[in-house]
This record gives sequence, structure tokens and C-alpha cells, in this order.
Amino acid sequence: MPLPTKKFETARFQSRYEERLTRLAILISFDIDGTLEVGDPPGVLTMELVRKTQEAGILVGSCSDRPISGQRAIWEQHGIAYDFAVSKHQLPDVKERFEAEAYYHIGDREDLDRQYALAAGFEFFWPDEAVSEPWLK
Amino acid sequence: MTTENAPASMYRTTEGLGVWEHKGKVAAVGIGHSPTTRRWDGTAENTMGANSIFALRQAIADAGVDPADIDGLVLDPVTTTGAHWPPGQEIPMDVVNHWNSTDDPLDGIAKLSAEWILKNMPELTNVKFTMYGQGCMSHAIVVAAQAVGEGRTHTCLVLKSWHNLEGRYNQSGVSAQDEVPGSFALAPGRTLWGAPGSYGTALQFAEYCRKYGKSHDMMAPFMANSRRNGLLFPEGYWAQHRPEQLTAEDYLNARWIAKPANLFDNDIPIMVSGAYLFTTAERAKDMKQKPVYILNHASSRGAQRSVLPTLDEVEKETAETGRKIYEGAGITAADLSFENMYDGFALFHQFHIEGLRYRGMQNGDALDFYQKDISIEGPDPVLPSGGNIGSGRSRFWMHTDSIQQIQGRAGARALTGVKPEIGVSGGPMPMGGNFTVWSATPD
Repeated sequence: MPLPTKKFETARFQSRYEERLTRLAILISFDIDGTLEVGDPPGVLTMELVRKTQEAGILVGSCSDRPISGQRAIWEQHGIAYDFAVSKHQLPDVKERFEAEAYYHIGDREDLDRQYALAAGFEFFWPDEAVSEPWLK
Repeated sequence: MTTENAPASMYRTTEGLGVWEHKGKVAAVGIGHSPTTRRWDGTAENTMGANSIFALRQAIADAGVDPADIDGLVLDPVTTTGAHWPPGQEIPMDVVNHWNSTDDPLDGIAKLSAEWILKNMPELTNVKFTMYGQGCMSHAIVVAAQAVGEGRTHTCLVLKSWHNLEGRYNQSGVSAQDEVPGSFALAPGRTLWGAPGSYGTALQFAEYCRKYGKSHDMMAPFMANSRRNGLLFPEGYWAQHRPEQLTAEDYLNARWIAKPANLFDNDIPIMVSGAYLFTTAERAKDMKQKPVYILNHASSRGAQRSVLPTLDEVEKETAETGRKIYEGAGITAADLSFENMYDGFALFHQFHIEGLRYRGMQNGDALDFYQKDISIEGPDPVLPSGGNIGSGRSRFWMHTDSIQQIQGRAGARALTGVKPEIGVSGGPMPMGGNFTVWSATPD
């Protein structure tokens, strides 16, 4: 059997990737303060990580105690095409708006992130867990 | 020199006292502020004590006074309402020893004595009068005003400082203890196990809405106006760190803290110090800034029958406070150019201004009033300082703004719809606080 060419390999990967996206849409909600590098305090997750995640076809947005207009401004300032920006208690609304097979929220607070996320039916990552991008594995 | 709390005799707490005997004889001249930060960074250079010295020196320089001429200092020794130093947590002695310390190593970090200030400001060589006005700047101001009026001091610094530590407010120190004394745990916001700080105000506001047919949504214009004014306040936290407008959408989508008090109805705790220089009307004439004369100070000491004040009790107390303010100043509500009553929690500002009968309003009118033009450009400005909502928890933005407005130094926040001649500021609570009437002229 001939070895696949690089072109063939790329096409096969793309096809698998698209199939995965079709079957397994992923949505990731990012807390800001204490989670993203632009937060106060700054978190460990870079905006580059978010951009890469978004470019991989994953639905991304923010769920924060920051004003919604302020959240939007952060995404726009960094040129990231976000899908949603909501207040902390609005994760259930996000789940209702977007159909996905996996919902993740990433945040730094037990009470305001983890508990809200689990109650809304999201899986949860602490920021240091999210650095390795477990949703891509 | 031992510093005592101000005696009860220095406060004007009842109606029927007539015009304040020192009306127009005391003036505010200098203003100073430290930069704001969200929390202490652990360094000696950025302690609350360091901020205090910075603000005091700014006020002295602003007034153009020789520090040796200052003979009085009034301050609040309590520098937090909820960032308590955890028992057993190591105190950084390198920070303590960076300064001239007192017997209490937390002095200058998480509390503040007059002794610490005087030890660390060697230029204050002639301070002979010190006194505490506990609670907030509103308190310290009335003590200082009365002290200058009575001749206890002729050139007096007034200081309020705030520290804020790592971690969440009201969840460390005494707030996290398994047992607390007396009725401590019953008051809003004091312990991990109790209700949020704003719950009492939220209950009163809920009853207010029910009684007068109003809604929480009607607060949105007030909140947007406050943040707008705050963003025009270069000394404030939001202007310095996150210059974001708060829109109606932002406000209406915020989560509840104690329904109907939401996240933005609660002010953000910060590190900041503010200072003023008060003096006699005579001495003020020769100082660098335009004197702002104090026409009166009045205090509220409302008594509640139960754990929380009812709406009826609040309305009775704020109306009485309004009458005391006007009586002592010899003015009426019609004489007010503007109001700068306290707002940290946002949901009680309307109690204060309805008590004042500001622009003729009666109980239940304020939220409708908020739907009209309440901007600094209009004829009916509401809270031109932006208050704590506009600039973070200091409890003194309203005083600074009142002085700056009348001095013509409010910058982009300057009132243009009215001529700022007489303003009133004070707080904190509708059931208990201290209030001051400021004027461009002594009479």
C-alpha cells in the first residue's frame, strides 16, 4: 500500500475534524477575572488560547460578573469572534441558545464558577486544568 | 497624646437646635486623594498608611498651607467594613518596620491611629488636637467642622482611609469565626453565615416598590448616571482602572445578591485615602483655594424596633434628617443647587433624597424622578459625584465633589445646568449618618 501523501493526510484529517465538529459541537464559557490573562486579577489562560479554541470551531464566550458591555469590549479589543457574553447566572440561557454535545465552563471560583456551572449542566475546569486544552483531546 | 472618639455633644442630632452657631465660620479648602487600587499588594509603599500620608500631603499642598501651621487632625481609625485581618495570620514585620510603628503592628495596615500618622509625618510639628470620628468621612467631617467652630483647632486635617485585603469581603477575620459576640451575626454582611450586606436595604426597597408601585428596573437611569459621573472623576477607581460605562442592559442582567439588590447595587471595595483641610473662615481667605463654607452639620441616630429598619422607620428618619439639615443651615430645600447623598448601596439613595424633599419630591417620587434628566448638565442633578457606585467604596466621593463643584474644580464633572452654590452631602445609612451643607458663601 502506498504511503499517503501529505496532501492526502491533510484532507483526511480535515474530513475527520469536520465530522467531529458536526457530531460533537463543543461550547466553552470563560470566566474573566482570575481566569483570563486580561482579568483582574490576571488568570493563566491567554487570549491566544481562546482565539485558537475559537478558530478550531468551538463555540466560545464569556460568563462573568463584569458588565456584559465590558465583556463584549474585551473580545472585540482582542479580535475574537465570541458567540456569547453573559452574566454569571446566565449559563442556563447559554445552554438553551446553543446546541452542543459538550458544554464547559472555566473559572476560578468554587461558588461563582464551579457551582453555577455544574448546576447549569456544564462540565467544569479550573484555569490551570484548562491550560492543556483538554477539550481538544 | 491620647486620641478619643468625639463626644456626643459635638453632634447635632435633634430637631429644634436652631441655626448652627458656627454657620459660615468653618471652611474646607484643601483636597487630597491617594491613587486607588482594588487590594493591597503586600508592599510597604502601598499600605493604607502610605496612602493616608499621600492624601494628607496632597491636601496640605492643595491648600497652600505650611504643615507647621496645622494644629488638628480628625480621622476614622476603622479602615474597613469587611476586610478583616485573619486571626493568626502572620503580620509582615518588614512592612510594619518600614514605618514608624505604634504598639499595634496592624496600625497603618488594617487600622489607623492618629499616633501612627503623627509618627510618620514629621512635618506635622504642631498638632495639638486629635479626635476620632468613627465610621466614615461623613462622620469625621462633622467632628472636624464642630472642632474648628468651637476653636479646638484652627487648621485641621480630616482623613478617611480604606484598606482592602486579598480574598472576599466579609469572609475572613471575625466574619469567619465560629462564634461572634452578642448580636454581631444578625447585622447584614457581617459573617459568613449571615445574609449579604445589602439585604436590609433590599427588603426596604422591595417594600418601597410595593408601596409606591415602582420596580427595580427603574433604577437603571440612576445607575448609568452614577457610573457616567464616576468616569468623569479622575480620582476614582473605575476612571483609573476600568473606564467602562454601565448600561441599562448591564444593570438589568446582573445577578441578584439579595433580591431585589443586584451585583451593581453593591459598591466595590477598594484601597483609597481621602483628606481635606478645614480651617476658620478668616484663615481660609488667605489660602490657595476658594473656601467652601460649612453652613451646618447634622446627624441621624435613628432607632429601629427590630433586627432591620422598616420602610416606615426609614422614611420617618430621613425626613427628620432633612429637616435638621435645613434648620441648622437656615435654608430650605429650594436653596439646594445639588445633592450628593450617599449611595453605597444604590437602593437607598432615594430614601436620602426624598427625606431632603430634593426638588420638591415626596416619598415614592424618586424613581420617577430618575426617568427624567438627572445629569450634571440638567437643572436637577442627582449625585454629581457618582458616589460609591461611580468610583468605588470610599464614602467620600460625594464630599470631594461637593467641595470641588463649589470651588469650580470639578473638571469634566462640573455642573452646567445649575450654578453650584449650595450642596449637601453625607451618609452612610438612612437610619444613621452624618451630613454637611456646603456653600459658596458664608451666609
